[in-house]
Amino acid sequence: MSDILEQVSTAIIEGDLDEIVDLTEDALDEDLGAEEILNGGLMAGMDYVGVEFKAGNMFVPEVLRSARAMKMSMEILNPLLVESGVQMMGKVLLGTVKGDLHDIGKNLVGMMCEGAGFTVKDLGKDITPEEFVEAVKEFGPDVLGMSALLTTTMRTMESTIKVLEEAGVRDKVKVMIGGAPVTQAFADQIGADGYASNAASAAELAKQLVSQA
Amino acid sequence: MSELEQISTAILQGEEEKAPKLVNRALRRKVSAKDILENGLLVGMGEVGVRFRAGDMFVPEVLMSAEAMRASMELLRPELISEGVKLVGKILMGTVKGDLHDIGKSLVNMMCEGAGFEVIDLGFNAAPEKFVEAIKEHQPQIVGMSAMLTTTMRAMGYTIKAIDEAGLRDRLKIMVGGAPVDAEFAKRIGADGYGSNAPAGAELAKQFAGAA
Amino acid sequence: MRTNYRMNSGVRFQMLSDDQLEEMFWGVLHLLEHTGLDVKHEQARDILEKAGAWVDGERVRIPSYLVKESLRMAPRSFTLYARDGNHKHDIRIGPGRAHFGPGPTCPNFIDVETMERRPYVNSDVPAVAKMVDALPNIDFCESLGTVSDVHHDLGALYEFAGMFPNTSKPIVAWSYDQHDSAGIHQIAVAEAGGQRAFEQRPNYVHYCEPLSPLVSTFEALDKLIFAAKHRIPLIFTPCPIAGGTAPVTAAGIITQGAAESWMGLTVAQALQPGLPFFMGGVYSVMDMSAMILAYGAPELPLFMAGVTELAHYAGLPLWQTGGCTDSKCFDGQAVIEGSMSVFFSALTGGDLCHDVGYTESAMTGSVFQLCAMDEAIGYSRRIARGIEVNDDTLAVNVIQDVGPNGHYLKEKHTRRHFKSEFWYPNLLDRQDFESWEMTGGLTLKDRTAARVRDILATHSPAPIKPETEKAIEKVLAQAEERVQE
Repeated sequence: MSDILEQVSTAIIEGDLDEIVDLTEDALDEDLGAEEILNGGLMAGMDYVGVEFKAGNMFVPEVLRSARAMKMSMEILNPLLVESGVQMMGKVLLGTVKGDLHDIGKNLVGMMCEGAGFTVKDLGKDITPEEFVEAVKEFGPDVLGMSALLTTTMRTMESTIKVLEEAGVRDKVKVMIGGAPVTQAFADQIGADGYASNAASAAELAKQLVSQA
Repeated sequence: MSELEQISTAILQGEEEKAPKLVNRALRRKVSAKDILENGLLVGMGEVGVRFRAGDMFVPEVLMSAEAMRASMELLRPELISEGVKLVGKILMGTVKGDLHDIGKSLVNMMCEGAGFEVIDLGFNAAPEKFVEAIKEHQPQIVGMSAMLTTTMRAMGYTIKAIDEAGLRDRLKIMVGGAPVDAEFAKRIGADGYGSNAPAGAELAKQFAGAA
Repeated sequence: MRTNYRMNSGVRFQMLSDDQLEEMFWGVLHLLEHTGLDVKHEQARDILEKAGAWVDGERVRIPSYLVKESLRMAPRSFTLYARDGNHKHDIRIGPGRAHFGPGPTCPNFIDVETMERRPYVNSDVPAVAKMVDALPNIDFCESLGTVSDVHHDLGALYEFAGMFPNTSKPIVAWSYDQHDSAGIHQIAVAEAGGQRAFEQRPNYVHYCEPLSPLVSTFEALDKLIFAAKHRIPLIFTPCPIAGGTAPVTAAGIITQGAAESWMGLTVAQALQPGLPFFMGGVYSVMDMSAMILAYGAPELPLFMAGVTELAHYAGLPLWQTGGCTDSKCFDGQAVIEGSMSVFFSALTGGDLCHDVGYTESAMTGSVFQLCAMDEAIGYSRRIARGIEVNDDTLAVNVIQDVGPNGHYLKEKHTRRHFKSEFWYPNLLDRQDFESWEMTGGLTLKDRTAARVRDILATHSPAPIKPETEKAIEKVLAQAEERVQE
């Protein structure tokens, strides 16, 4: 691996927000391709972060900082990647369902997905089924992620999926759900494509869902 | 309540002064010593044992009962002998050389007295020769040895050896105990038995007395 | 700037008032002056008499002024040093500093492979020392057992010889007699680089145990005299049993036990003024059904808290007790009893808390209990560290910046503090159910066993000097020769 790519991946691992933009530009100056920087620098760093996080050697605030560094670098690389016709990781649309004001779990998922290379659009919280439908049509995500933190609001996930079906867009996205009261059994029951028990595994799941598509 | 019931109740309640008084009264009324022992004192101690094992009585209470038993037996022993009743026997007890811990052995003594034994206590830091001499003098059926330290427990082996060399081993049962001692150690040094706590020590002595 | 502002560092825990402590202090002085103790060592009696005690046969009574003088000479704050100069392994004794470690002399050991109880053997010593060296919340080393497979007079010597190379944390050494003590000291001095270097940076503490009630035994004093002459920091630790060998009441057992310790203190300070001295020991109840000294009873940490406060009131550090259990195996009882006592010990700030890893009422040593208690101590230490209050920790500006319904995960403030504000478990599981199930659905026992085996397989302690290795060989060879005679 070239020095510059190693520096990029180190900056990702260390969440070095001061250096990551310069390093990305340096790499481009060295005539490295955007795809090469993505795979050899950014993804290499994020893979390391994922392993360390699972092993309990890195913690959420550190992972989020790495994810932010990733996002900053991606903002530079994205237009170049599009230009050269590179297959992108994909798009993730996120939202907390109607009646639920809990935000932090879904925010975590969003940041983890960005760290995994996805383009993420976050609708926020208290999102009605209709708003989800509209956003799916407009944004064209590969994965739709819904979150609910309360046993009282988790049923809304079911009605949201129904509304997606009625609007004829259910087939266009993979639906993943999560949140404290949610289980795999519930996901199966309401016809979601997947369930993740925490933010890190949600990003993993999104990757799997995209590769299935 | 009958006289004998009163005696067993006094034992159960650990009434050190009342129990011998009741024994004395029963003797005056020509109740046989054997009857007093078997249907009064031992019934009381039997109940003490049951309650202790069930967790309804605690050590300080058991010791009060044992004390009442000991005081009663002091009075009754000559009468039992003159009636020709076979006594449970004599135990020689001591904490071995080098060991100053006394409380475990004292507990066993009291429990054994409660079971009707006559106990001769050599105290603590008792050398092998002291055991040998005391065996010759008191002719016990059972010798009990105690050690509290891993450093002193091996003195038990030396003591048994000394008893053996004095030619006294065959007429005795030897039991050992103390915090670091276990059954395997007892076997290794040639003791006849091991008690893991004071009531078990007294039980073991009773078994030995029955077998003797 | 702040003026007249009062701060608390950590949890403030106090059980007895100064008035109560003064009353107990009087009780101890009264016992020493009026009742006295049997001192079964002629030289010690001479030392005491010369210092101003009244000797009457074996009975020695000490006038109060002499006890107070001895207390004044003994230091409250000092350092025990790691043998290899690793400051992280030093122990700084002083107010508000609690340290933890195993205990000595269990006849049995829980086998590391089978987790079954068996006699303690020589090869267990390095394993225990390695665990101590690796566990972050265990600060000093004892062996957790009496070696059964060497000559019966040499158990203590082999223990030290096995511990010393396998941990650089300070060791607490017990011994059978002066021969052992001399051998142990030879090894420690070889590593320190001479007697004088040892005196300046002591790397072990000598442990002696008098007898309750009120007897200073020959062996305890003989070892004490050796330690004092060689300026080895000293622990003089009785093991009174409430209702058995001591009064049944908490205040009574504490008073008697302190008198037993301070007899040793007076001998030690008369011989070697300023010798670091820990009063001790193990204060618990006699279970009135099972007739054992209960290591898991709530009275143990309660009594120990009382002794700690009395020791600190008198200006001495304390040899505390905790992390032990009456349970026979690694189960809920073991963890409840052990955790409660280490937590209480951490709150009292008792200086060296030993017997961590004792099971079966001190009959069986267990590195599994030790490892689980390391976790409980970490937990307790976090609580004992308390709450820091200042502009930065109050975080009103951060709260304002984040505002309603925001989150703190990306805040600098979070990143700056999350590692020091939170405690991170090594053994306790906090995964969600699915992740827990996917990683094998392990119990605390499984995880503890895995950690113990992992440490033993991978941890390598700092080596000792080549000359110390030679000293160990020589000491053991001489000792073997001595016992053959």
